[in-house]
Amino acid sequence: MRAVFLTLLLLASAGLSPLALAQPVEAARAQTPHVQAQLLADVSAVRPGGEIWLGVAQKIIPGWHIYWKNPGDSGLPPTITWSSVPTGTHVGPLQWPTPGRFSMGPVTNYGYGGEVVLLAAARLPNDLSPGERITLGADVEWLVCEEECIPERVKLSLSLPVQTASAPGEDAAAITAARAKLPSEAPWPARFQREGGQVRLHLESAAFQQTPPRAVWFYPEAWGHIDHSGAQFFRVDERGLTITLPASEAASPDALGGVLVIERDGDAPRGFSIVATQTPVAATVSSAADVLLAMLMALAGGLLLNLMPCVFPVLSIKALSLLQHGGGRAARLNGLVYLAGVLASFVFLAGLLWLFRVGGENLGWGFQFQSPLFVGVMAALMFAVGLNLSGVFEIGLGATGMGDTLARRAGLTGSFFTGVLAVAVATPCTAPFMGAAIGYALAQPAPILLAVFLALGLGFALPYLALSFWPSLHRRLPRPGAWMVVLRQALAFPMYGATVWLVWVLARQGGPESVLRVSSVLLLLALAAWIYGKSAQAARAPRRLGAGAALFAILAGGFILASPGEAVDAATRHWEPYRPERLETLLQADKPVFVNLTADWCITCLANERVALDRAEVKDLLRRKGITYLKGDWTNQDADISALLAQNGRNGVPLYLFYPRGNSAPMRVLPQILTATLLVEAFSAVPDAVSPSHP
Amino acid sequence: MRRFSFAKLTMTLVFSILAGSAGAAVDIGKPAPAFAGVGADGRPVALADYKGKTVILEWTNHDCPFVKKHYESGNIPNLQKDAAAQGIVWLQVISSAPGKQGYVDGATARQLNERRGASPAGTVLDPDGKIGRLYDARTTPHLYIIDPSGALTYKGGIDSIRSAKQEDIAKADNYIRLALADIAAARPIGQNNTQPYGCTVKYAD
Repeated sequence: MRAVFLTLLLLASAGLSPLALAQPVEAARAQTPHVQAQLLADVSAVRPGGEIWLGVAQKIIPGWHIYWKNPGDSGLPPTITWSSVPTGTHVGPLQWPTPGRFSMGPVTNYGYGGEVVLLAAARLPNDLSPGERITLGADVEWLVCEEECIPERVKLSLSLPVQTASAPGEDAAAITAARAKLPSEAPWPARFQREGGQVRLHLESAAFQQTPPRAVWFYPEAWGHIDHSGAQFFRVDERGLTITLPASEAASPDALGGVLVIERDGDAPRGFSIVATQTPVAATVSSAADVLLAMLMALAGGLLLNLMPCVFPVLSIKALSLLQHGGGRAARLNGLVYLAGVLASFVFLAGLLWLFRVGGENLGWGFQFQSPLFVGVMAALMFAVGLNLSGVFEIGLGATGMGDTLARRAGLTGSFFTGVLAVAVATPCTAPFMGAAIGYALAQPAPILLAVFLALGLGFALPYLALSFWPSLHRRLPRPGAWMVVLRQALAFPMYGATVWLVWVLARQGGPESVLRVSSVLLLLALAAWIYGKSAQAARAPRRLGAGAALFAILAGGFILASPGEAVDAATRHWEPYRPERLETLLQADKPVFVNLTADWCITCLANERVALDRAEVKDLLRRKGITYLKGDWTNQDADISALLAQNGRNGVPLYLFYPRGNSAPMRVLPQILTATLLVEAFSAVPDAVSPSHP
Repeated sequence: MRRFSFAKLTMTLVFSILAGSAGAAVDIGKPAPAFAGVGADGRPVALADYKGKTVILEWTNHDCPFVKKHYESGNIPNLQKDAAAQGIVWLQVISSAPGKQGYVDGATARQLNERRGASPAGTVLDPDGKIGRLYDARTTPHLYIIDPSGALTYKGGIDSIRSAKQEDIAKADNYIRLALADIAAARPIGQNNTQPYGCTVKYAD
């Protein structure tokens, strides 16, 4: 309004005729039921050959929005047709301010609410003569939506005098402000890589680590490259900023263009225009230093794995077998064979993961425990090892004890399978270092994946290997004797404990039915072990009979185990099951959210729940702060949870994510070992919920 | 010889894993998600009823300006007639939730079609948005074509010019018209995955 008045004033002061004043200057503004539109110029008078900025300001009524050049899943970008400009005028392409996003159900749109100015730079022809007036006319069309959409259309025009020098106009400030809202050219090299259902966008700059962003969103400028509605996740490390975007199924482009909006603490969101180039696969192979670092982390993770609760029963077997074999060459050999067993298992797992990754399946560490059959077999195996330790039966031994050769062979085979067993049981526990290393490895080409897994295996086998190799460590162990039998029998109990745990996992996966089933299997197994053990001491014919009976019992057990059960779910809980849509809704609403990704077979997860998450003070704090507790149960394979893990560079549970204020504050990844104090500290940052429903 | 066949076996295995992996429920060339619902005529309607026929699904909302563009101009009603002449089953799907724009009962849906000169083979009422979400329908209009074997052969927009203006229809590539020609000529559909445009489907919150 002021602008129009000033224009009039300027026109008058420029000594123009009343006829000129009768030009339709009012048409610079137009009003529809939803939008007030105005054509702006940054000058009040133009000069021949001058360059000016034009803008169309749109003031949208509250709750409604118009669209960005890529409107997202629906909608339509506004169009401006420069319908009347002096011949020879060149108007540049529309320049779009940094957009925002609007979600409705499964649909996400990109656009603007409130006030927005679309800009264009124009160069006027040289043949204008001072004293004349030019008219700049624009047909502006837009689709304005709240929930419903209305297409609207206005004609705007502006009349400006031609002078020998241009004069700044009243709208210059508005134009300058609008230009400040345009995304700036990104100063960092950008590249992207499509991998399965994800696009990974990487911006290379160490600066990100100095002032880490609070929130990040990438707006692709074209349809079909990424799924507009999917969640975006970002990670900052010393190499830069990496954003994981959900790919849309259309073919991958050579270049990915768009606007990246970065929010930092104490700073308004800033937009950066980006054109990322697709790096050929060869160039994505990480540097040797990266690989080495990942291998070192894997090594450390493997070492740590020995201390994780789920490995304890196996640790005890290892200690025991070491004592059995005594020292010297035999021990070293056993140590190496154990290493071989561990490595072979890790190679097998790496191969399996690689194969599934090639197949596009979203599997992660510990995935094998998602198969009830595998859990059942593991329970039976643990139980059998327990029975063996209890002395119910011996493997491969005659009645009269062991010959030297036989002992060594049985020992070596035993060591190998101890290694295999140790890995099988260890997998559900993701040691803190290991999670990152495996996450990294899974995104790498097969050789690196293998290298990292081998490092992991080496780390895992290292303590036992050290014991078997260094006599000095050996001398600290007590001498063999009758006490070993007692110890061995005592160590059977951790195995029974592991069996109990696995039966419980199975109960959660397959319901009460499966408990009956697996218990029957264990009963048959015990029977088979007893028959076998007894008959091994007998003469030849009963021995054969015994072996036959044992085999029959085992087969019957296998048959029972292989028939599938049905899943059941719990009735009472103080958390909500994790669903991506639910998380998205909460984040959009800037609500505090805590996400716990867990699985019943993950002892670390359960320990964390017991000692921290389910503690009264934590529960109380969750309620008081209005923090929604979403729990993703990965006990059975779940694509949504696998995706969330992957988005955070993880492939195993536990993973704890804390969003203090939805999308408007940075997400924190909490440590994999939780304490109540740690949680109380994290959650206390959230202001008390002032909701009448939670008095 | 033996090694060769082993390699072949491995490759077959790997490729069959690859082929079965793409994940999303609505991919071109994959079986279209089965659905069952109630038609505007009050009778049950299911995709399985039309096995052996080509089916076109059209998400619609009669109050959406983009839908109006294509109905008032006669574009969609003509396509519906031509599809029917080719023996193709055209089903409208209305996923607007009760209380939202475009939500209608069966009788109203039929009246609307009569008034607009539209003649789809049927109208599927999907007020809870289940079918819409199953197909990941995002706009009105949003179109899907399912071949007689039940595989999805087209998904996307109605034409190439994203606007609410009727005068653009003549200038645009009409993707459905092109697809009908491809089907008539027993060719695979050329442009089978295009950008849909229009109003957001008014799903239940």
